[in-house]
Amino acid sequence: MQPSAIKYEPYTPYLNGTSPTPPLAGIGEIRVPVESDLDIVAARQRGRALAARLGFSSSDATMVATAISELARNIVLYATRGEICFCLESHGDDPILVITASDEGDGIGDVRQALQDGYSTSGRLGVGLPGVKRLMDEFEISSTVGRGTVVVVKKWKQ
Amino acid sequence: MRGPTSALQEQFTKALETHLTQGGEAALLSAYELGRTVLNERLGVLDVATLLHEALVAACQRRPRESVRTVQAAAGFVLECLCSFEMAHRAVREANTALRGLNELLEEQTRRISHELHDEAGQLLASVYLALDDVARDLPAPAAARLQSVKTLLDKVEGELRRLSHELRPTILDDLGLMAALDFLAQGVSARTGLWVKIEGPRDDRFPSPIETVLYRIVQEALTNVGKHAQASAVTVVVRREPRRVCCSIRDDGIGFDPGTARSTSGGIGLIGIRERLVPLGGALSIDAAPGRGTELRVTIPGL
Repeated sequence: MQPSAIKYEPYTPYLNGTSPTPPLAGIGEIRVPVESDLDIVAARQRGRALAARLGFSSSDATMVATAISELARNIVLYATRGEICFCLESHGDDPILVITASDEGDGIGDVRQALQDGYSTSGRLGVGLPGVKRLMDEFEISSTVGRGTVVVVKKWKQ
Repeated sequence: MRGPTSALQEQFTKALETHLTQGGEAALLSAYELGRTVLNERLGVLDVATLLHEALVAACQRRPRESVRTVQAAAGFVLECLCSFEMAHRAVREANTALRGLNELLEEQTRRISHELHDEAGQLLASVYLALDDVARDLPAPAAARLQSVKTLLDKVEGELRRLSHELRPTILDDLGLMAALDFLAQGVSARTGLWVKIEGPRDDRFPSPIETVLYRIVQEALTNVGKHAQASAVTVVVRREPRRVCCSIRDDGIGFDPGTARSTSGGIGLIGIRERLVPLGGALSIDAAPGRGTELRVTIPGL
């Protein structure tokens, strides 16, 4: 598995507290750089706002926020910097929120092991990646040692 | 498991207060992180409920006229605190499904081995008998008589093979159902151990295949336990169909045991095995036993 190319866009202040609400159709991609705990908050905020605009239930929106937390936290902990990217897909009339977390960190040597419960190099319980997989409807990961990791998750509107 | 500390309670109360007064994603993230901390510290979902409840009571006490609005505003906070437990909950459900699949796979393999033992090995033995008869015809009488003793040994091998095959997976369980299979099992156990085994239940009834398999295995394990440890003379096995569940009890008149200490002795391993078999079907085991008063195992399996 080869990770798709990772591009870093120059940082733009998406969230200054008064950012315009994103239009629903054709939002293209919304990118949130992730380097610090503050960025985790920003990414969650953006994801939650999108989920709300798509009409997700509050529990589904919470699961989206949780997935973002775990993915962004992995970036901060293991890769120091990366980004969370949002875009929309649809299945008939049903919107699908697509969240891509990518970094140019060391990569994961054993992806299968990283998806097992209880595996975590930081000593936490393995809620991380396997937990995200269970909260989302679709989950894909590709990682190359020395080049980085890309995780794509999708949440369908119920 | 110890309960949450007062320091943790203070963190919950403070975080909720921040959420209520300032709102925003940072407060929600700290709610999520608090829930995750609780999970990591091996506290339970009831502990989070308690922590949340206490925090909410404190928040309402601070705003006696706005309790309803306070509770409403806490909704997102509550969801965030519980979301890591949702992940853990989903993990358990997934593991349970995997366990059930594994049990079915094991049962299927056992079935295959059992049938191959019975059919393939049985066929081979039959050809050996024919070949021996053939040889016997060409031999003088004394040598033929010695061949007869070989055939007697072969009879024993055939009997052992058949017993092994049936115990691995009685074809009768698939063909005629649980009650017939239990009757067959009881005959075997009686013949081997001298235990008097009585089987009661709805002879004409069939249960879903996974339930029949698990109950058969449990009774098999229980009878083995009785034979090994109970010093009993009689066992009664009762299978009962109840609304939405199957119950099965296995009662003996042996020396009994103290259920409190069985865990640490080898006698407990059989009981652990029985419990493990019940987990994927959502079944339960209760034990009624005391030294000198015999033992009764009661198994219930839902889902009819």
